[in-house]
Amino acid sequence: MTTLLIKTHELWLETLMAGLMSRTKNRETLYNFADIIFRHMRWIERCMILNNKTYNYDRDSIPIKVTKLSGILNNINHRIGEIDLQLLSCPDKDLVKRIASDLKYIRKTLTVLPDENITAFDASRKLDDIELTKEATDALTLFLFEESYKEYELIMIYNYLQAHSSDAFLNRIFQIMIDESMFHLRSFAEMMSEMGILGVPRVIHKSLYIIDDVKQFLKDGIDEEIAAKEMCVELSDAVAKDSKELADFFDFINNQEDYHISLMKDALAHYEELENE
Amino acid sequence: MSDLDPSIIEHMANPHNYGPMENPDAMGIGENPENGEKVVIYLKVKEENGEPVIEDIKFQAIACMTTVVAGSIITHEAENISFETGNELIGATLGMLDSVPPAEAACSEMVALSLQAAMDTYRAKKDDPNFGTITYKIENSCIIPEEQNNDNTSN
Repeated sequence: MTTLLIKTHELWLETLMAGLMSRTKNRETLYNFADIIFRHMRWIERCMILNNKTYNYDRDSIPIKVTKLSGILNNINHRIGEIDLQLLSCPDKDLVKRIASDLKYIRKTLTVLPDENITAFDASRKLDDIELTKEATDALTLFLFEESYKEYELIMIYNYLQAHSSDAFLNRIFQIMIDESMFHLRSFAEMMSEMGILGVPRVIHKSLYIIDDVKQFLKDGIDEEIAAKEMCVELSDAVAKDSKELADFFDFINNQEDYHISLMKDALAHYEELENE
Repeated sequence: MSDLDPSIIEHMANPHNYGPMENPDAMGIGENPENGEKVVIYLKVKEENGEPVIEDIKFQAIACMTTVVAGSIITHEAENISFETGNELIGATLGMLDSVPPAEAACSEMVALSLQAAMDTYRAKKDDPNFGTITYKIENSCIIPEEQNNDNTSN
């Protein structure tokens, strides 16, 4: 099952990247498929936990540089074939049936998606209809690389915490954080794709999600959210004179972080209550 | 990062040698005690004429993008070199830290020291196979002193 989990994790990211590099209606289809495959990954993970299998989120690097969408769709098709072979390792036959059925449909649909040219790797570092100075472009580039990785990291950390928790109060918070980071990851990576600098977030180190002290993680996380807010303000200021639209977007993201901090404080208080019981 | 030229952006998008390694011969850690950021380097080593040679190298960074870029560049240079040449690479990296901005100096030092730690761990493991993993802490600070920050602002 370990290989099944790894391959499904890779397939989720590869399909998400394909959606991000598309500039047509294909994007929505690929996003939907990526969401389904992410759920597959979580269900396989849960099955591993129930069967006392150890696992982590290590994976191989995923090459995504293509000039035509069909290039990455062929790679996805190939990876689905590998997953098909691994499904036998999963003891939950209902889950196997569900995943096999989804993958069969996804595979069939991918073959009829219209092809398109890909500009997500041309390194133009230009956004449609927005002219930025070199300084603002550099600040935005650095921010997008830092924060897209950070959002992927948060998705995996909260996913791991949720997979190992049976506390409804905490799991509601973890799910909100996953959903929020998923939106941020897509938003930032869409911008990276438009700027021709799309990249797969790097593999996260085990020590980041296999956490002994969740309270400390939440305390550090609150500090990181505050730092992220500051980065959003700095970026908003850096691009404000060139683009009010972009400045408004980073203010919008910044304000979302306030609610994350509030949720993390709720989770921290809940952990403290549990300790005091 | 001072200047985002195309080669730096390529390192950011596709860092060389990034990721975990299964069953490494040695690991080493470089750590920034100021903020807990760290770099882990994994080595596969072969012996050639009695001298250890880096056969494969990987790294992971719990750190900023500047560190990832430094890791990509330094581990790329460390591919297939002897430990002796590795020492020269580390020496050259540490020797140029005064000439780069503080944040970049701290990041490069962290990568260089993690490579040093991995090579030293390999040597120690030859004597004691149960030897753990060496961690070296950096001396450079990535926090820009207020005075220097003001100087830069006024320039």
